[in-house]
Amino acid sequence: MSVADYAAENRVRVGSAAALVVLVAAAAVALDLPVAVIVTVGFVERALQAATPIALAAIGGLYAEKSGVFNIGLEGFMIFGAANAAAVTWLLGGGSPSQADLWLAILAAVLISVAYTVVFAVLTIRYEADQIVAGLAVWFIGLGFGPFTAVILWGSRNSPSIASVNDLTVPVLSEVPVVGRILFDASPLVLLTAVLAVAAWVVLYRTRYGYWIQAAGENPEALDTAGVNVARVRYAAVIFSGAMAGLGGAVLLAHAGSFTGTGDTMVNGRGWIGIVAYLFGNYNPLGAAAAALLFGGLDMLQIQFQTAGIDLPNRLVNLFPYVAVVVVLTFWGSTRMPAAVGEPYESEE
Amino acid sequence: MLDASVLQRVVVATASTALALLVGLAVVAAAGYDPLLFLGNVFEGAFGDENALARTLKFATLFILTGVAVAVAFRAGVFNIGVQGQFVVGGVVCVVAILRLAPALPTGTAGGVALLVLGTVAAALAGGAYAALPGVLKAYAGANEIITTIMLNFIAVGVVGYLVEGPLRGEGNRAPNTERIPEYVELPAIAFDSPDFSVVGLAVALAVVAVVSVVMTRTHVGYDMVTSGHQERAATYSGVDAARTIVATMTFSGMIAGIAGAVFAVMVQGYYSDPSGVGTYGFDAIAVSLLAANNPLGVVPAGLLFGALDSAGTHIGINSDVPVQLIDGIVGLVVLFVAAPELFRMVAPRAGFGGDDR
Repeated sequence: MSVADYAAENRVRVGSAAALVVLVAAAAVALDLPVAVIVTVGFVERALQAATPIALAAIGGLYAEKSGVFNIGLEGFMIFGAANAAAVTWLLGGGSPSQADLWLAILAAVLISVAYTVVFAVLTIRYEADQIVAGLAVWFIGLGFGPFTAVILWGSRNSPSIASVNDLTVPVLSEVPVVGRILFDASPLVLLTAVLAVAAWVVLYRTRYGYWIQAAGENPEALDTAGVNVARVRYAAVIFSGAMAGLGGAVLLAHAGSFTGTGDTMVNGRGWIGIVAYLFGNYNPLGAAAAALLFGGLDMLQIQFQTAGIDLPNRLVNLFPYVAVVVVLTFWGSTRMPAAVGEPYESEE
Repeated sequence: MLDASVLQRVVVATASTALALLVGLAVVAAAGYDPLLFLGNVFEGAFGDENALARTLKFATLFILTGVAVAVAFRAGVFNIGVQGQFVVGGVVCVVAILRLAPALPTGTAGGVALLVLGTVAAALAGGAYAALPGVLKAYAGANEIITTIMLNFIAVGVVGYLVEGPLRGEGNRAPNTERIPEYVELPAIAFDSPDFSVVGLAVALAVVAVVSVVMTRTHVGYDMVTSGHQERAATYSGVDAARTIVATMTFSGMIAGIAGAVFAVMVQGYYSDPSGVGTYGFDAIAVSLLAANNPLGVVPAGLLFGALDSAGTHIGINSDVPVQLIDGIVGLVVLFVAAPELFRMVAPRAGFGGDDR
């Protein structure tokens, strides 16, 4: 599905997104909001940063669901990713880790997430565990495990300030106004996410393996008849989803610079929002990334409101993304899921 | 799991819990603590003395109520992950109702009882209404109730948190709390001399279980709920309005969650505080319900088990340096193992238990 096809097939979706933007712009003019103060380069940067973890989890989740396994444990895998990235950074570099330590920690967090996801995949695919229940279990284990790790290492549910990732600055190009700062003086993790989103799109819609993944979720019998091992395709997709969610958690940590384990932990529902992002993006990696950007922007609106002097209680502004999720689901709730999602497949051999 | 016999379910539940505790002990050992000492602390913290027992029963009361709320929905094939939010909304509405109505009613025992009843009714209505919303969205817009209820949890905690910080904060309170409800509005202790547990609360929980069990198995409404959960097509053919049943189920589930919130607010707190710190009863209730195979009666032993685990957690938090968060992890592991009964079915014959009679 090319971008043009996507737009053609999702006229309502694209149209309503455009209508929404127009509506917001009209409201801003009518209410005389200080738009220039709200939509700044800094805001775009922050929105991109906030969107990355959501986009990564969303892309992983959509692969799993496309292959026929609803990985509802994304939130849990993100908590594992954030906690493990924080722990490994700390173990490598203590209170003053280098950038190399941080990158190693991100890699380690992804690998550890892969190990956990293998267990989840075996339980759901081999042992036919209820996917919803097993996914919820992953969330609960994450909610316990993240703070547990923090208490073991730092004696408190929150870590001290550890390290955040440095921006990648391209000389000369970063001097270009607006575009320069957003594209050439940005978090390398934002750029990595953009690359991964495009790659995920190409693999899903332009390669044979992508078709196998889609077939595993739509018509596993046909795929089996064609001589492809359905279980193996599903394992790959589910493990990829865990790796991406783990990366999302690690990215969240690398941007924030410290681990928060109080309340719902620093992940704070982003995994769930990721699921909505790919539903809204109609299982298209690029659509999912765009939806994640929408949620990221809503998430960062509070800082802009503050600088613009708009007086809204913080706790209420923080709720924008969650309210947006409910609204999105209300209008685009009934997406067409892959036909065989949630059904274990047993080969007849 | 629905075709499994009661015995099989008990075996799966017991095996899941044992396995989760074993993994927990392994983690304790790996983190460099003494697992035997930890195990001793768990039992001591859960049943060691009268204090521990009262605490176990306090948590069990809340888990039984929230667990039944979850079970009602799951039984009917609707995933209500929003019990935590409905619990919070119910609790705060109960406290506000009691505070607002108190001046209009006589003080003393009679007024206290009247306020308790009114507060609980208000909580049930609020919890039911808050659960009806995702029910309507699922029934008429196809919105996935798992995700909407989770979002509504975040929204409930955020809005109530904002309210107790500002508009609802008691006069002169330094902490973000509402005013305390009057002294005479309380559940009598009867047994156990504990400031935050009353046998009356436990009795309320057991009464709710009994009512739910009767409604689900003996009434027309309950029958429609359960059939539309498991045989949607058959239910539709026999004239059940599937959409309306979903909304009714969610509302019923939310009303119970609201009552749980009222019991928490009156019995445990006596006021309402920032809900991000009130405990995750609504989430753990999902584990309670699953462990009970979503059977309202099974929720009682499962609630007691989780009450004991939480009580042990409190004890461990004070008396040992093993992080209490481990208990949350163990709860998650129980859920994970319960999710995969197939695992036990495959292992059981090899271990000599037999039982693979599917």
